[in-house]
Amino acid sequence: MIRTLFYNPTGFFTLLNREISRFMKVYIQTLMAPLLSNLLFLGVFGGMLKTREVGIEGIGYLQFLVPGLAAMGAIFAAFQNPSFSIIAQKYQDTLRDINSYPLTTFEKVLAFVLGGTFRGFLIGTLTYIATIWFVGYRIENPTVFFIMLALISFIFSSLGVIAGLFLENFERMNFILAIILTPMAYFGGVFFEISKLPDFLSGAGYLNPLFPMINLLRYGYLGVYEGNLLIQLIFVPFVAVAAFGTAYYFFNKGVGLKD
Amino acid sequence: MLEIKNVSKQYKKGAIDALKDISFTVKKGEFVALLGQNGAGKSTLINILAGNVKKSKGTVKIGGIDLDKNELDTKKKVGVVHQEISFDYVFSVDEVLRNQSGYFGLKDNNGYINELLETLSLTDKKNDSSRSLSGGMKRRLLIAKALVHRPDLLILDEPTAGVDIGLRHQLYDFLNELHKKGTTIILTTHYLEEAEKLCDRVIVIDQGKIVVDENKKVLMKNLGAETLLEFDFSKDIEIKDIAFLADFNPRFEGKRRLQLKVLQNEIGVVFQKMADADLSFSGFNLEPKKLENIYLQIVNGKAA
Ligand SMILES: Nc1ncnc2c1ncn2[C@@H]1O[C@H](COP(=O)(O)OP(=O)(O)OP(=O)(O)O)[C@@H](O)[C@H]1O
Ligand SMILES: [Mg+2]
Repeated sequence: MIRTLFYNPTGFFTLLNREISRFMKVYIQTLMAPLLSNLLFLGVFGGMLKTREVGIEGIGYLQFLVPGLAAMGAIFAAFQNPSFSIIAQKYQDTLRDINSYPLTTFEKVLAFVLGGTFRGFLIGTLTYIATIWFVGYRIENPTVFFIMLALISFIFSSLGVIAGLFLENFERMNFILAIILTPMAYFGGVFFEISKLPDFLSGAGYLNPLFPMINLLRYGYLGVYEGNLLIQLIFVPFVAVAAFGTAYYFFNKGVGLKD
Repeated sequence: MLEIKNVSKQYKKGAIDALKDISFTVKKGEFVALLGQNGAGKSTLINILAGNVKKSKGTVKIGGIDLDKNELDTKKKVGVVHQEISFDYVFSVDEVLRNQSGYFGLKDNNGYINELLETLSLTDKKNDSSRSLSGGMKRRLLIAKALVHRPDLLILDEPTAGVDIGLRHQLYDFLNELHKKGTTIILTTHYLEEAEKLCDRVIVIDQGKIVVDENKKVLMKNLGAETLLEFDFSKDIEIKDIAFLADFNPRFEGKRRLQLKVLQNEIGVVFQKMADADLSFSGFNLEPKKLENIYLQIVNGKAA
């Protein structure tokens, strides 16, 4: 049983290291760019809407925005890392090489997913660090904040693996990012509270799977939340397991990998 | 070392079988040439062994281990040089090889990597990006990559395509060396001289089926019996002058050159007959039998 999960630890860490060094080598695009865009969001929205009162007592909009932006940065980075890596390797015709390595499917998938998780986590953390200067360093519940950041990254990295396996080119990936992920993030509570939306939209907002993730991250950061905390605390880890399981399933089936 | 039994592959439902019921065994230490025209199914077979293609039927055993039962254990025994040149261009030559070692569970393999770089004349490119290599260098890097984990079975899918002659001969020496050290090798190529020079055994696939599987020497003896004899004459000659050679498929090239196809053991007879007829020639050429000619005989259907 253990052997069907872990067979070749050195191989696993080599692959994980590759997935991390792949984006570290081009850190200007992969880390600095999203960080800068997050700071721009903060400057533009935060500066413009500084006076706007959020529904929660004593919390400024800038503070409200920080966990939202950290979540969004993590989501995009975590999703892009494995999907970009897999699609690029399809272009280079090197993806199939992985079929010859003595690694279990679990090791392969986990390496891809953790590579993306690390990038997402890094973006989220860097976003937080960069905003210390604007809003202070205080995190209400650091454990919740960082665990949520890791979980969100893990989920979207798993989805990124699935996207990479199924998609044939970067245009399709960008399409998914622009048409699905971006609106989901915008309406999932990155920039405003779901409860502030008009009724018909806020109903949909609560069903947005991104909402509990962003909401819990915000809870870790600010100590305030919307909706039912317990349900969300069960929901998010559940999604993480399901997303990873799905990535595993398609990887094991050889989608995009084998003829 | 390798046991292939009744293996078939159909890429899509309704499509023709890329492989039809292929069976053969390769013993440890053999050097086998896998030949066949474009689209015959060579790469398909190799990709099945590499894990890139799922076979539709049959069983494969590598080093006694069944691919379907314990795939991971078989992977360490095989090194594959694929037909297409492809690298992860993000990485340098050295990184490519170190990563490859890592995937195969080897933590510190730098000694052997350096040795490979040295034998394949890539040492001074060690820190260059793999993208910046010339075509022939990439080919060599691909070979180094397949060897970092010292596989028992090395499979090469047209490793010399696009490689210059000097380098090709360097590669032959290298493969010979590996073979001597005990590595089992399967080589696919369209250069028949390569197979002739290197291999002990020849397998020919045609339209997904094995049509020949024979020891190279035996094959050349059995099939390559016809030798081309070429005579040049100092004066014009006509058909009637050589009527006594009618049995040997005479063919004129101009009026002063004659070609004959002769069985190995008939060469003496031809010379005797020409002497008897007092037909003297000014020049003479003998084209030795080549695997290439034999191969053409086979794929043109003459070998059935
Ligand atoms: N991925 C694929 N999907 C569908 N059909 C394929 C695929 N790969 C190969 N084929 C088909 O299988 C047959 C055998 O192809 P294969 O690549 O094995 O030939 P080959 O002997 O290696 O030829 P070559 O000398 O040109 O490399 C061909 O008819 C080819 O079109
Ligand atoms: Mg081929």
